Amino acid sequence: MEPIIEVRNLTKVFLSRGRKITAVNDISFDVFKGEIFGMIGPNGAGKSTTFSMLTTLIKPTNGSIKVAGFDVEKEDDRIRPIIGIVPQKLSLYPDLTGRENLELMGKLYDVPKKLMEERIDYYLRLVDLEAHADRFTGGFSGGMKQRLSVICAVLHDPEIIFWDEPTTGLDPQTRQAIWRLAKKFNGEGKTLIFTTHYMEEADNLCDRVAVMNLGKMVALDEPASLKEKSGSANLEEAFIHLTGEEVRD
Amino acid sequence: MTIMTELKHSWIITIKEFRQLSRKKALMIPLFLFPIIMIVFFGYGMGGTVKNAPILIINDDTGTASNSLVQEIGSYTPKYGGDPMFSVTYTKDMSQSEAKSKIDYGSYKAVLIIPQDYSERLAKNETTTLTLLTDSSDTTTSGIIINFMKQFLAKTGSVSLNIPDVYGDLEYLDFLTPAVIALTIFFGSVATTGSAIAGEIEDGTIIRILMTPVSKRSVILGKTVYQLILQLARAVILIFAAFAIMGFNMNGSWLLVALVLVIFTLGGVGLGIVMSAIAGDMESFFQLNMIVTLPSMFITGVFFPLSSVPDWMRYIAYLLPLTYANDAMRAVMIKGQGLDVIGTDLVVLSLFALITFTAGVHLFRREA
Ligand SMILES: Nc1ncnc2c1ncn2[C@@H]1O[C@H](COP(=O)(O)OP(=O)(O)OP(=O)(O)O)[C@@H](O)[C@H]1O
Ligand SMILES: [Mg+2]
Repeated sequence: MEPIIEVRNLTKVFLSRGRKITAVNDISFDVFKGEIFGMIGPNGAGKSTTFSMLTTLIKPTNGSIKVAGFDVEKEDDRIRPIIGIVPQKLSLYPDLTGRENLELMGKLYDVPKKLMEERIDYYLRLVDLEAHADRFTGGFSGGMKQRLSVICAVLHDPEIIFWDEPTTGLDPQTRQAIWRLAKKFNGEGKTLIFTTHYMEEADNLCDRVAVMNLGKMVALDEPASLKEKSGSANLEEAFIHLTGEEVRD
Repeated sequence: MTIMTELKHSWIITIKEFRQLSRKKALMIPLFLFPIIMIVFFGYGMGGTVKNAPILIINDDTGTASNSLVQEIGSYTPKYGGDPMFSVTYTKDMSQSEAKSKIDYGSYKAVLIIPQDYSERLAKNETTTLTLLTDSSDTTTSGIIINFMKQFLAKTGSVSLNIPDVYGDLEYLDFLTPAVIALTIFFGSVATTGSAIAGEIEDGTIIRILMTPVSKRSVILGKTVYQLILQLARAVILIFAAFAIMGFNMNGSWLLVALVLVIFTLGGVGLGIVMSAIAGDMESFFQLNMIVTLPSMFITGVFFPLSSVPDWMRYIAYLLPLTYANDAMRAVMIKGQGLDVIGTDLVVLSLFALITFTAGVHLFRREA
């Protein structure tokens, strides 16, 4: 299988009030083209930090990342146009309408106007938001915001999609809608990388799952193999087995 | 990325900022109304009156026409108040410098000098000029007295008022307006830039913008262009309001005023970016803003001349950019001066803009 993301010895150390925090500690892995790649791990494991580095938002302290063959540090302007990101924070302008938020993204990705309008209408329908498109997102429910946030990231038809906890805090209906979107995008040949705290979600959706703990990648395999290796009935048990029972700060 | 693409991205950001502004109706009040209210408020001597303010009238008039004038001033009682406005002491033959020293000493709030030929000229239907000295360290009282005298003498017709050396030969409104504009533009650019970015950091929207192919440069440029348009518009509105409401007259070059304000706005935007980066969220930004910008309002001689403040305060004032903006604005707007006079001010303001912008671009971060 052809790798689309190659991560080698990736490390990120934050300096926070004079203290060193190693958020990501020497991890190496590949993500294959066209797969759904899940990342799970307790709070503070380093998932979002890894995402930030993969998406060129912050620079690694050490190690290297190639996305679609481009170096994240030297060729970030080649990477940005081909990736779409749904950040963990919902990040919509509350004083702009749904459509205005979408248009802002479309324009910043240089999507031609006509194509952009077509895609906006198409995706609004796809996530059932067309009736609310001209309302301010400040008044949206969590589920509506998440659906809008997801389609904000695909207007430029990216090859690789990053979702950081796309289903946290959402009702079952919205979660299923998000899953359908994941399958749809994947069916179009896009590579999807997402993080989650819901084990059954990782189990159902992912081709492969990476388990992170305290900045390390402690396992990376197909969900079935992970369960098998740890002798667990479900992924949740396998997860606890790999990352321990203690609650993180 | 080509320059055209970067400029296009900047413009998208500028439009976005204006669109957001149009949604924040409540922001219009501090942005446009407060400064106008401030000018009217202070310009009219805070709209209040004074009670029993000690003033000295030096009546050198050889005729009798001045008697009624003097009496009217002495017995004048404000519409709603019981006490007379002034407690008048009368004298003759005192030099202007001696009178001034009495004000400086604190004996009087103001001195009105009636010339020898007052009656004579009035009889001949010629204009006469009275001289009014006021206490420049007490701007409130001075403002009230000046306004009172102006209105009072306007009724008598052919008497004009000469008010030397109070605000460096300016009348209070003239003295006040340019500095209020500088202050307004400074506070406005720092607060709106900083709070907007702090808000965007807080809710993560700036991260989303910075995840797109748009460069950090374009984002900052877009926000800066927005601020330049917004702040210059505010300045124009303020100047017209001061003219329409208070009769303020602009004597200098609009182009130079724009130049001063553009450079100063750049500094304000830079400072706003730096402060939002340090604060990281709205609440901390506003706290920081209070500490950093508020003192400028009282120390830099917006409301009173720097010559009337203690030395230590003046030294601090010279460290604050608003001081130089005030000076340049007064020189251009009131005295009609050119680049030669405001050159130093512009250099200092440019330096301020350069430093804050460099720091701002450096601190404006991609990460959360
Ligand atoms: N900008 C930063 N400065 C300092 N420390 C940071 C910063 N960002 C993250 N960290 C720290 O790095 C560690 C990893 O954080 P990260 O957000 O990557 O975890 P996560 O796996 O995404 O957790 P969660 O499941 O809670 O989202 C945490 O200890 C966090 O406090
Ligand atoms: Mg996270």
